[in-house]
Amino acid sequence: MMDDNKLKVLNRYHVVFLIQNVIIGTTVLSLPHRLSSMGYSQWWMPLLFGVVANLLLIPMIWLGLKYRNDTLFVIHEKLFGKWAGKTINAILLIYFIVVLSAVSSSFLQLIQVVALVDREITAPLIILLLMTIYIVHGGIKSIARFCIMSFFMTLGLLYFLNWGIADGDIRHTMPIFNFTAKQFFTASKKGLMAIGGFELISFYFPYIINQKKALKHASFGLWLSILFIFFFTFVSVMFFSEWQLKNVLYPVLNLFKEGQLSYLERLDVLGITMWVFLILSTTAAYLWAAKKGIDSIRSSPKKTHLYFVAVFVFILVKFPYMEAFQRILFERVFYLMYALFLWPILLCLIHMIKPKKNEGLE
Amino acid sequence: MQSKANVLQTAEVIEASDLANIISSVTEGNTILYFHIEDLYLSIKTFSAPTAAIAETDTESSVIGPQNALTESLETNLSLLKRRIQNPNLKIKNFVVGPETNTKVSVLYMENIVNEENLDIVIKKIEKIDHPGFNDISILQQLLDEHPFSPFPQYHETVRPDIAVSGLLDGRIVVAMENSNGIIICPISFFELFISPEDYYNRWTTASLLRSLRFFGFFLTIILTPTYISVLTYHPEMLPFDVLLNLQESRGKVPFSPFMEVLFMELVIEILREAGSRMPTKIGQTIGIVGGIVIGTAAVEASLVSNTLIVIVAVSALLSFLPPNFIMSNTSRFVRYFFIFSAGLFGLYGQMLAFAWLFHHLLSLTSLNTPYMTPLIPRKWTDLFDSVVRMPTKFLKYKPGIARAQTKKRPPVDKEE
Repeated sequence: MMDDNKLKVLNRYHVVFLIQNVIIGTTVLSLPHRLSSMGYSQWWMPLLFGVVANLLLIPMIWLGLKYRNDTLFVIHEKLFGKWAGKTINAILLIYFIVVLSAVSSSFLQLIQVVALVDREITAPLIILLLMTIYIVHGGIKSIARFCIMSFFMTLGLLYFLNWGIADGDIRHTMPIFNFTAKQFFTASKKGLMAIGGFELISFYFPYIINQKKALKHASFGLWLSILFIFFFTFVSVMFFSEWQLKNVLYPVLNLFKEGQLSYLERLDVLGITMWVFLILSTTAAYLWAAKKGIDSIRSSPKKTHLYFVAVFVFILVKFPYMEAFQRILFERVFYLMYALFLWPILLCLIHMIKPKKNEGLE
Repeated sequence: MQSKANVLQTAEVIEASDLANIISSVTEGNTILYFHIEDLYLSIKTFSAPTAAIAETDTESSVIGPQNALTESLETNLSLLKRRIQNPNLKIKNFVVGPETNTKVSVLYMENIVNEENLDIVIKKIEKIDHPGFNDISILQQLLDEHPFSPFPQYHETVRPDIAVSGLLDGRIVVAMENSNGIIICPISFFELFISPEDYYNRWTTASLLRSLRFFGFFLTIILTPTYISVLTYHPEMLPFDVLLNLQESRGKVPFSPFMEVLFMELVIEILREAGSRMPTKIGQTIGIVGGIVIGTAAVEASLVSNTLIVIVAVSALLSFLPPNFIMSNTSRFVRYFFIFSAGLFGLYGQMLAFAWLFHHLLSLTSLNTPYMTPLIPRKWTDLFDSVVRMPTKFLKYKPGIARAQTKKRPPVDKEE
């Protein structure tokens, strides 16, 4: 493509929608259930997550501005030396592969439950991975373009909340602070993963044209998706009882199910199949980052690395006899995500302590 | 020696040593007059190629607006365009392509508006072309494509001089060819292929209505029959009970799966279209009656297909003829089969993945290195005045972002801050 020879390719719209679309994955669908330990008081939690994420963005972008042309992989090698850096990168790569598998497998399970009832997911998984590879082939800019497109494609899903609002009860939102500290921590621990995805900015930061304003654009994208997540959570709180929130695995999908048009029922089928756009934008961004990871570990960029990653993901999702292990792995990997949220802060500190000659400033 | 040429008004002096020029002059149909004593060659235009008269267009007709179509003579076509733009900035560069046919090609542009980078690309591409001969400009168009494997047309081909002129005024480049009715306009965006010139002659309200019909019709025609397949095969629970009952009743005696049923009916329509397109008009009407009434009704009565499907297939066939660009209308037919197969394989999930493919493909296409999806993802906000809604004419003074036209006042559009 025409942009191959240029490093800086992402304009402000690309940044906004990359942040926005990568955040929204399958976790949004189950978020009200994940936060259910707080009961009805959970509805403002997405806003709190937004504040946390926005604060976490600051060290990420500060670090990026110090190393304007380097992805986090390269920064690791610069800060920790070649071998320690590569080891950290290898761990990151494994993390990306596990996240990719977790996202694809949780989405395909939903597809299996809702749309393709009782059918094997092998073929849908292969097609999903191939589609992801196809999107990543065009580079980060084409992923960003895809994000813009999927945003507008899926905007219509908000209409499906119509029935939830109509039948819901706004009084569920009160009282606001009806929970214990323990319930709050359980909810945050389980729910924070819903905003995972913005940390990828450390990897595509060198591709941003206007890096100085990146924080502003990234925050805008972040709050756009927080608004969506907030909206889904809020309507779920209005519509469901506390018992339902605790026991319904995917409350948002059930909200879709409430909708009935005169010619169409079971809008959740339409909703979950359209969700593939949001999943593709998430998996594409993670696959892109994973590919950059292999590139940096092997010190040579190759297109075939994409297929390596995809094969690993396929194996991880379809590995037989390990369902219990998979479930634990896919749930626990998000603790590594929380660590990655905080990681740039540590890197910033190391960068400040390090002697000046190692700086990658242009 | 020149005095002899001055006597003969249409004569041209040729150097004696320039044998190639003499030969090409003869193949063009000229007469060579040779003066022994002075060793002088005069090439005299004693031949004028028969050209068809300027006529109305059959393929891109409109109710209001100019009716003339371009002809097969390059000279006439250029004069039709020059007649509309009386401006010294209208420049023409001439090329000869195809070593066997030696076909003349002209590149037209407005020197004060055109993006020079785009112009360079076009000229370089034409100079690099390696193809033995040309019968029509469509071949040249495909050779200029940046993505030859894509089903989508990446330049606009038209026989209407008014479209060419508005293209030139936008800062686009027009390529014309000898012996070819059409001219190509580059660059072009996906959305612009749904714009008919009549949109600009109608009131803005009518124009916007028809334009959105054409644009959304394209997406409707590729998902109507696939949706029938996926809903009946994979998600019957999506239909309300009454509708489902209705559908199942009409499908009651059909022995095929929805997928086979749709494929059968779509192929029948395809065959009718193909058979009708080469028939003389009078026989064509018969084909229409045979196809429409006999096959339609008989197929239902023979329980080969359901009533509902006949309606859906007919509507989607009609919708596929909406795009003013004929190639785009053909593309919609091809893309529909892709959707039919993915719906047959994975239901709605397959359809959505097919949509993801379609959108990603469109997003990565370029026309003269400019993204094909502008102005859906606008390069300039003023592009939105002339998108699905066509604003009243006084808003239309801005150049579209895709042409990257020269403007002294504005900074280049692709730079930020």
